[in-house]
Amino acid sequence: MKNTLRIERAIKNLTQAELAGLIDVSRQTINTIESNKYVPSTVLALKIARVFKKPVEEIFMLEEGD
Amino acid sequence: MSKILDFCKLCFTFGQLLLTIMKPQFLFPSWCRWLGLALFLVHLPVILICKSYDIHHSSTDTGLFSSSHLFFILTVVLMVSGLFVIAFSREKIEDEQIYQLRLSSLRWAIYINYAVLILGLILIKNNADYKDILRLNLWVPLMFFILLFRYKIFRLNRSLSTED
Repeated sequence: MKNTLRIERAIKNLTQAELAGLIDVSRQTINTIESNKYVPSTVLALKIARVFKKPVEEIFMLEEGD
Repeated sequence: MSKILDFCKLCFTFGQLLLTIMKPQFLFPSWCRWLGLALFLVHLPVILICKSYDIHHSSTDTGLFSSSHLFFILTVVLMVSGLFVIAFSREKIEDEQIYQLRLSSLRWAIYINYAVLILGLILIKNNADYKDILRLNLWVPLMFFILLFRYKIFRLNRSLSTED
């Protein structure tokens, strides 16, 4: 699974720490999601989508082989 | 027969009750980690003093609460409760990734524990040494869990500092 979290964050001008604070996770979690090392749960993906006011599919999408 | 059935019913309702009052993720508050560390560190000098003065063999009284047994209980309980509290205290930010790391560390700790246990059972022939396996089993899963979990968190934090 890949994501556009880093781009969305840049558009909204949020740091990793600020985004982490908004959805009650650690900065490490945001960092590992962005570098595709960690796949967030559905709840967390929905929370992130809510912050950016976009559907989840626009932020997280399946890759080939998923 | 009916008594057994009643007992089973009682156990079942008690179990149900326990499940409902149990929080899905019960952890100690994060300051408990330092408490656990203190308990664990306190037990070390106590053990050393015991070894150097050979307290174990000096007592002659028997019974459940003889001095040597009481001493043994005290030190082992200090160590195990210390490790237990360290292992299951909350992180500062306990999110789903930490939860996942916790579970995977726990799984590996159990693997290691059973590997040690099985190896011990194979290699040890002397009956008296079985007590040592039990003693080992007391701290191996908790200790390995703590080490693995800390190492994983350390690696997570290190990846953060290199990327951001």
